[in-house]
Amino acid sequence: MTADMDNKTKNQLRRILIPVASVLAVILLWQAIAVYIIDNPFALPSFTQVLDAFYRNLFGPRGTLAKDIVISLYHFAIGLSAALFVGIPAGIAMGWFRTVDQALNPLVEILRPIPPLAWIPFAIIWFGLTHGSAGFIIFIGAVFPILVNTYTGFRNVPKVFIEAGKVLGCTSSLGQIKNIAFPSAIPEITAGIRISMGVGWMCLVGAEIFGAGTGRFGLGKNLWTYYNLHQMDSVVVYMLVLGFIGIVLDIIFRHYVTKQTVRWQGQEM
Amino acid sequence: MKGKTFLILSALVACAAIFAAGCTDGGNGETTELTALSFGYQPSTHQIAYMVAMDKGWWEEDLAPYGITTITDHKFPTGAPEMAAMVAGEIDVAYVGAAPVISALDAGLDAKIIATVQVQGSDLVVRPEITYTSPEDLKGLTIATFPAGTIQDTLLRDWLRNNGIDPDNDVDIRGMGPGDATVAISEGAVDAVFLPHPSPATIIAEGNGYTAVASGDMEEDHACCVLVASGDLIRNHPDIVEQIVRTHIRATEYSIENQDEAAQIYHDMNKVELDVIKASFATWDGRWVTDPAIIIDSVVDYTVVQSELGYIKEPMTADEIFDLTFYEKAVAA
Repeated sequence: MTADMDNKTKNQLRRILIPVASVLAVILLWQAIAVYIIDNPFALPSFTQVLDAFYRNLFGPRGTLAKDIVISLYHFAIGLSAALFVGIPAGIAMGWFRTVDQALNPLVEILRPIPPLAWIPFAIIWFGLTHGSAGFIIFIGAVFPILVNTYTGFRNVPKVFIEAGKVLGCTSSLGQIKNIAFPSAIPEITAGIRISMGVGWMCLVGAEIFGAGTGRFGLGKNLWTYYNLHQMDSVVVYMLVLGFIGIVLDIIFRHYVTKQTVRWQGQEM
Repeated sequence: MKGKTFLILSALVACAAIFAAGCTDGGNGETTELTALSFGYQPSTHQIAYMVAMDKGWWEEDLAPYGITTITDHKFPTGAPEMAAMVAGEIDVAYVGAAPVISALDAGLDAKIIATVQVQGSDLVVRPEITYTSPEDLKGLTIATFPAGTIQDTLLRDWLRNNGIDPDNDVDIRGMGPGDATVAISEGAVDAVFLPHPSPATIIAEGNGYTAVASGDMEEDHACCVLVASGDLIRNHPDIVEQIVRTHIRATEYSIENQDEAAQIYHDMNKVELDVIKASFATWDGRWVTDPAIIIDSVVDYTVVQSELGYIKEPMTADEIFDLTFYEKAVAA
């Protein structure tokens, strides 16, 4: 018992200490290389310069970091919501109805490889320089993983489930989709949403550099502004904030959404 | 296990050090043989001297006696990425707006302005349905211009402030590239743009706006595009720098005397309609010039404005920005 508890404590400590030690080691290495080898804040700002820039961007008289985070999350919410609204129904329709799949598949395969940034001119033309315009670029990046994964989830529903459902009286397509196929496809759909969140968040810089939204706030917007001003310490701050928020969003999704849906699916089955 | 971990970490540190050593500046003041030169420029009629010289082969012809066998160039949408490329050592000579040079110098760029390229030449274009009679009419409007730190952004904000308009609160200024700004005003997504030619001529030709204010009316003979050489080139190859200035003077004078041919060259290199380019030349207030002495005060003023805007740490002196010796030698020759 005591040995088990010791092992458990050691494992818990390792789970915390190893990542912390790894991050600290990288920070020390970064600082040493930046200060003693490169010695050029444009080529590589040091960790301490980045910390100073972080403080200025958050609390300084010209700092806008907090507002940038709020605006970017707003753009992300617009884009991801639209991606869910379009991607899941389209994926269901293509995955369930063969005719719809045959009709839409060529369009999807043509549109999917087009980079989100290539849509900027049409974002301006169709949506102006509104928050919706920025959200549209994120939507373009986020919709296809959701659509494809939903489609795959529906295509992979075991036939025996459908047959069993029919035997038990679930004969309509809508009923089968709602009660059999959708629950069965939940793991793929949630995986698709998680990928979409990552891709959509990565589109944020492209979504905000052309003046959409407020034109003044946004993580992508001001990352590019500081680049234009050659203030690379602030560029690194914004890059790290983008990365950190990306992790937080993923953790939230993984622990609160995926676990709930998979647990529910496990209970049903 | 501990020994293995130590070895792996040591190997990683060694790799990182070797990698980083490759990124460091190798310049140490020694003269090295130079056979290749890289130019940077933007697709603006402001910088037509570069394009004329390139089209006519003058860069290769004039620099060959100095051992230059390869000349490459990079086209940039605005000055900011061009200066980033110069700081990174990717270009040796830049045709660029004076304002991005200032913020790059503040960030540690090792370079100097060696000649002027052009003054004035940008227009504030407003949508046809908007009536403009004075700067007051701009209140509440959305204006697209080049990003923070560029000539257009610096000049516009300074002019608005001088006319009692708060650029942060009374107008909505959106920074973007020329293509995005042209689309934005065409679609009514913005009310006005402040852009260098030939973009204003393109917008007007398409019926999407009219010129409300020329930049020369904002500040007479304001500095715009300049010729910049890297510190490494200046220190180690001053003869090449002097020749670059001579070729630039030759190309500028040729462009002034042969505007139709210059327009054709610009059209061939940049896909803008020839009629639009000629209309731009007929309507713009820009002047192609070469003497850097003309713009010293204007550029030093820009450093004051950029310092007030928080773009740079503090104003700069003329000596920190300019090296006039090459121009003086070039015109004396």
